[in-house]
Amino acid sequence: MATTTSTSSSHAHADHGHADHGPELQHHFSTAAQQKEAATLGMWVFLVTEVMLFGGIFMAYAVYRWAFPDIWAEAAYHLNTPLGTINTVVLLVSSLTVALAVSAAEAGKRTRIIQLIVVTMLLGLAFLGLKAYEYSEKFAHCAGYSTPIEWVTNTNQHAVYECLVPGQAFLFPADKTTGASNAPTVAGQPTPYQLFFLLYFIATGLHAVHMLIGLAIMSYLVFITWRGTISSTYFTPVEIGGLYWHLIDIVWVFLFPLFYLVH
Amino acid sequence: MAHHEHEHERGHIGPATYYKVFAALMVLMFLTVGAWWVEGMLNIPRALGVFIAVAIASTKTVLIVLFFMHIKVSSRVTQLYAVAALVALLFMFVITMGDYFARGWPPELGPLP
Repeated sequence: MATTTSTSSSHAHADHGHADHGPELQHHFSTAAQQKEAATLGMWVFLVTEVMLFGGIFMAYAVYRWAFPDIWAEAAYHLNTPLGTINTVVLLVSSLTVALAVSAAEAGKRTRIIQLIVVTMLLGLAFLGLKAYEYSEKFAHCAGYSTPIEWVTNTNQHAVYECLVPGQAFLFPADKTTGASNAPTVAGQPTPYQLFFLLYFIATGLHAVHMLIGLAIMSYLVFITWRGTISSTYFTPVEIGGLYWHLIDIVWVFLFPLFYLVH
Repeated sequence: MAHHEHEHERGHIGPATYYKVFAALMVLMFLTVGAWWVEGMLNIPRALGVFIAVAIASTKTVLIVLFFMHIKVSSRVTQLYAVAALVALLFMFVITMGDYFARGWPPELGPLP
C-alpha cells in the first residue's frame, strides 16, 4: 500500500487517518473501492445519455428506412463499403488495445499502459483518416473531380454528375450501376435520397466528433500515466476512459451495417 | 466497514478473455459482411437482411459490454444502468414507431411538397 508522502496535502490530512491509502482518495469517500464504484457508475450514467443521443439518430433512420426501403438500397450503393469494413476492423482492434491497457493498469505496468494507449490513438487516427478520405471523396464529386487527389492537384475536372452532400447542389445520379449518368436528377431536388445522406453525414459526423474527444481523453491518460498518477491501486481514469472508447466502438458497430450494408 | 470491502471484491477479466472476445468480434464482423454479400446474390426478404445485420451488431454489443466494459463483473447498480440504456431505447423506438404506424406510416409515395 502507498505510504504517506511529504506533500502539503498529506500533511493537511495527517490528523484523520489518510495514512493507509494514496492521495487520490477524496474526502467524501470512505474507501478507494467505494470511490471507484462511484466513478464507474457516474460514467455509466453519462453513457446512458450518450446511447440516447445516438438513439435519436437511429430512431430517425428507422422511420425513414421503413418509408423508403428502395431508395435506401440505391443510396447505400454509393458509400465506400471496403473502407467502411477496414474502419470496422480498425475500431475493433482499438477496443482490444484499450481493454488490454486496462489490464496493464490493473497490473501497474505503466510503460505497457502508455504503449497500448498510443497504439489505440494511432488506430483512432487511422479511422479518422479513412473517414476524412470518404468525406472528401463525396465533396470532390460535388466540386467535379472523381477523387480528392484530383481535386487537390486540380486535374481532370468534369461536369458534376453526382453530389451526395446534402444541400442545394445535391444531385443523385439516375443510373446507380455506372455512377456517371447522362440523365441526372435535378440539382437541389428534395428527394428522399438526401435523407439517407443527411443521416449518414450526421451520424458518422457525430461519431467522428466522439472519436476526437476520445483521442483527447486518451492523450490525457498517457499524460497522467507518464506523470505517475496511475498505479495498480489507482487506475480508475484508465478504466472509465476505456468505457468511453468502447461506447464509440459500439456506435460504429451499428452504423456500419445500417449505412454500408444495405440491400 | 470490513464487510463493505469484501463486497467490492469481484471477478476479474484478464487478457486471455479479451483476446477470445476480440476473435469472436472479428468472426461476427466477417459474418455480417459475408451475409450482406450473400444476400446480394440471393433474393431474400429485405426485412430478414436487416434482422440478420441488427442481430449480429447486437451480439457484438453484448460481447463488448459484458467483457470489454466489465459489466459481467460489475456491481448490480452498474449493471442496472447498462440495462436502463436498453430499456430507454426500447421505450423510444416502440412509442415512436407505434405512433407512426397508428398514423399510417409509410405514407403514399409521391413527390415531396
